[in-house]
Amino acid sequence: MAEVALRAESGRLLGSRSSRRLRAEGKIPAVVYGHGIDPLSVAVERRDLRLALTTDAGMNALIDLEVNGAQHLTIVRDVQRDPVRNRVTHVDFILVSRDEVMTVDVPVVVTGASEAVRRDDGTVDQVMFNLTVSATPGNIPNEFSVDISSMVIGDTIRVDDLDLPAGVTTEVDPEEPVAIAQITRATIEAEELDAEAEAEAEADAPSEAGDEGQAAS
Amino acid sequence: MLMPKKVAHRKQHRGRMTGGATGGTSVSFGEYGIQALEPGWITARQIEAARIAMTRHVKRGGKVWITVFPDRPVTEKPAETRMGSGKGNPEHWVAVVKPGRVLFELAGVNEELARGALERAIQKLPIRARVISRAMAEEV
Repeated sequence: MAEVALRAESGRLLGSRSSRRLRAEGKIPAVVYGHGIDPLSVAVERRDLRLALTTDAGMNALIDLEVNGAQHLTIVRDVQRDPVRNRVTHVDFILVSRDEVMTVDVPVVVTGASEAVRRDDGTVDQVMFNLTVSATPGNIPNEFSVDISSMVIGDTIRVDDLDLPAGVTTEVDPEEPVAIAQITRATIEAEELDAEAEAEAEADAPSEAGDEGQAAS
Repeated sequence: MLMPKKVAHRKQHRGRMTGGATGGTSVSFGEYGIQALEPGWITARQIEAARIAMTRHVKRGGKVWITVFPDRPVTEKPAETRMGSGKGNPEHWVAVVKPGRVLFELAGVNEELARGALERAIQKLPIRARVISRAMAEEV
């Protein structure tokens, strides 16, 4: 996994008011901790953080954080956001070492489209979007890809079916579902509405025919 | 319509709706969702109307999640009644919604159809809301 360089300024003022001022200047308050060190309050440029976290590795990118001239190998542990403005308000960096096994969430991405499921008016419901895995920082996969093109209604892809690369393990139950092909309640409701409409049409049709027959006689 | 099976107290105070939502602010089950942009009470009837608007537009294949529940009773006094004589009768149920709260989620359809369905559902709600996607939550 490629490492991304990021520069952080230390010595920021703490508290909500100074943090708000930092954000107005285009910086994001952050904290660095781990490996028994005292937590270090820092600030990073919003633009630089965006560049660091939009590589192929996504949120699991290995970040070479420079604080006061010292280099720290880190990974993003937590990102706080404003839910309405959808802006990052705070970031937690955790120190890692290259030979240390760590636990991270790796995205599960569904690829392809199932023609059989579509034909039956069903849907493939992805129920797992992240898989928690244990790996050394260099072995963390960018994502797990799940091909759903061969699924039919009733099929389930489970954690056991995912291909974990060498050096990557998971403690998640192998029977845990990742994607389920099913007919949804909305489809059942639509079918019921169609059936009702057909039944009404059939009920109307004989009476009309009967009226016409009487008129003819 | 959605309503609790049983409640500890039949009538509640109205309460305040200050601040933003502290939970349920991201798309958790589906691919797209409706996010509230202002506070308000959403009635069970409005939730049902929004759900029907959404499912009728999607027709078949999609899956809908309702991520709010109307658990607050609202009382009303009968028309042309003098004030006093105690609190009115429970008439309907509402969900208290604060800015940022995700109300509905949708999956299993393409983006164009999903946005169309969710925009129609928003028209049934008494508050400003917007369509959000799972990908938006990953933006930095």
